Amino acid sequence: MYKSITKDELTEKIPFVLLVGPPNSGKTTLYNYLSGSNYKTANYPGSTVEYSIAKVRKKLNFEANILDSPGIISLTPGSLDEKVSIDAIFSHPVFGEPNLVIVSIDASQISRHLLLLKQLQKTGISVLAAITMVDILNRKGFGVSTEEFEKLLGCSAVKIDGRNGKGVEELLKVATQKLGECNHKERVKYMHESDNSSLINLYKEIEEIERSVLVPFANKTKVVLEKASRKLVILNKFQKDANSNLSKTSKIDKILLHKVYGLVFFFAIMMLTFTSIFWLAAPIMNLIDDLFGFLADKSFILLGNNWFGDFIANGIISGTGSVLVFVPQILLLFLILGILEDSGYLARGAMLIDRPLSKIGLNGRSFVPMLSGYACAIPAMMAARTIPNRRERLLTIFILPLMSCSARLPVYALLLACLFPGNKAWLAGLVLASIYVFSSVSSITVAGIINKISKNTFGKRDRSSFILELPEYRKPKFNIVLRNSYQSAKLYFKKAGPIILIFSVVLWFLTYFPNSNPKVDTNGKTTEHVIEQQKADRLLSSYAADIGQGIQPIMRPLGLDWRVGVSLVSTFAAREVFVSSLALIFKVTDDNSTLQNSIVDAMHDAKIEGTNQKLFTTSSIIGLIVFFIFSLQCLSTIAVSRKETGGWKIPLLQLVTYTSVAYILTFITVNGLRLLGVA
Amino acid sequence: MNTAADIEIGKKVVIKSIDENHPSARRLLEVGFTPGQEIELVHKAVFNDPLAFSVRGTLIAIRKGEAECIKVSPKMN
Repeated sequence: MYKSITKDELTEKIPFVLLVGPPNSGKTTLYNYLSGSNYKTANYPGSTVEYSIAKVRKKLNFEANILDSPGIISLTPGSLDEKVSIDAIFSHPVFGEPNLVIVSIDASQISRHLLLLKQLQKTGISVLAAITMVDILNRKGFGVSTEEFEKLLGCSAVKIDGRNGKGVEELLKVATQKLGECNHKERVKYMHESDNSSLINLYKEIEEIERSVLVPFANKTKVVLEKASRKLVILNKFQKDANSNLSKTSKIDKILLHKVYGLVFFFAIMMLTFTSIFWLAAPIMNLIDDLFGFLADKSFILLGNNWFGDFIANGIISGTGSVLVFVPQILLLFLILGILEDSGYLARGAMLIDRPLSKIGLNGRSFVPMLSGYACAIPAMMAARTIPNRRERLLTIFILPLMSCSARLPVYALLLACLFPGNKAWLAGLVLASIYVFSSVSSITVAGIINKISKNTFGKRDRSSFILELPEYRKPKFNIVLRNSYQSAKLYFKKAGPIILIFSVVLWFLTYFPNSNPKVDTNGKTTEHVIEQQKADRLLSSYAADIGQGIQPIMRPLGLDWRVGVSLVSTFAAREVFVSSLALIFKVTDDNSTLQNSIVDAMHDAKIEGTNQKLFTTSSIIGLIVFFIFSLQCLSTIAVSRKETGGWKIPLLQLVTYTSVAYILTFITVNGLRLLGVA
Repeated sequence: MNTAADIEIGKKVVIKSIDENHPSARRLLEVGFTPGQEIELVHKAVFNDPLAFSVRGTLIAIRKGEAECIKVSPKMN
């Protein structure tokens, strides 16, 4: 679904250039510089999980499709996301064989990063090296000799800085040359070194190359002369200078990776992330809410009391409003996740939490997907590809629907506004925070239970691994983080938006027809009163009411009626549809207050049909919240779960388990509260 | 014989060998834990697991169980 551009759109004739490189090697920075604002697919925070493709921007005068891919350290895939990259090197599923592979190599980590280049060269693919982070190496007292590099490796190399574009022009010039050369070399599917000792030998070879390529400043000639003792000179010098350069990172790590303070900071950072999402987004959300409430009112007055006016006001405008209202929160969540990732903290968070997570059958690498799950389960499930162990990856995917995604937020906001009207808003905030804590605890509990069951069923656990590079801390590049979160939010909006709008229209239709113009007694009644009466009659005889009668028996034990049932069914399109469908069913856009306030008013007044009993009481609202915490009401999540797990077994298990658990727990909550005397 | 899981924070050691039977052996080699390489234990997470090592100019976190398959000897000066 993220392949938003196809082969045809990108015109086949222009060359296909693939960017590969180890994680944290400056690959994506280079990609961002090359693509400018052209790129079509966004990557959610939690690193590149799908590919992202763009045309090189016009200014650079290099016509090619350029593709970014998840980071790899060798040609032996350790996880699914690495496999995506490695497969693309040989033949991309959409774009075919790359004409050129540009591999990014961090100059300050040259011995680790040359491994990939050496392996790539053995495949016969046309390779060009982009040497990054030269400034970091310079600060360590070394320079890179590209002449030596090219001589020893037989591979063209250009020093670049993707942040300011230094050297990129030169890189593209060499790339053009390379593309012009006939490349008739037979490509060989890479057979990894048959045993570990040949891998060790390859590293030895690389160390030799490193010694010639890295040139200490000032005493270059001296070192060349002292070939015999060169190893010692460089090692010692490098080590000493490297330490002084690492000091900033290690100073921060002394605190953030501290056994005690590290955990304190970890929880503080998580708390800060979530609270800022609520507090910062609230004013903007209110603004959007007010605006659409106002627009719906005005258009209804303007177009009059007929099906068209009702359709525009209640079907289209309210529907659009309920989509837009949660965009600020999603944007903020992506923004904060992006900042955390770019600064280098996410890897540390994963390290800190690996041990506790491994106890319940997860992995430190589950941390980023779980965190993304608070935004949306879909990118989160894709981010789970970075978990090498299959069992741990599937378990992570299994519990992701329990993470409180941003689509639930408008629902909780509405229900809490109904539970704590007016001046008790702070209490609503507190309860919202505890909902988040509760959903996190639930997901961990579910993981623990499943882990226990599967251990008892399948016996000894399979091999699990956690090997993760902790990159140096750096200042997040705000413009790039901002652009990425804008792209993510846009992608999300594009995906969820139409579904919500369509369901709004369908629901509007179901609640408006067939009895669209009911006859009411107009004698001695004001126009407003007549409209009210018409609305009520229309709804009671609508298609929605017919459907609702079928659901009624299921809803009654929960203290709810068919109208909530219809809203709950409609949430399978997307959870946030709940708000717009309640708005529609309770026909609330006819007074002067804002969208949300008017739903709250209507909910307060609503009675269970045919009785005098209030529909939304403390117990039934809490019950609904419990329902939303557990229930898997999202078709897109089910679809992605099927794709990522490779079958229907897990998504169906998720659907059945979570929906039935939600129903049972809601039943217990509502009736338990009533037994305790809570209305 | 000592393994990388047994050393103290701040102590520099040299890798002697990697236990090839360990499932993570290959990955450890690939990320740079090769025999002859100098490493230093820099951080330990809660419960002393995972461990973060300085290797080839970067920091890499690995589980204690994985550090146990890295045999080390004291650095000779």
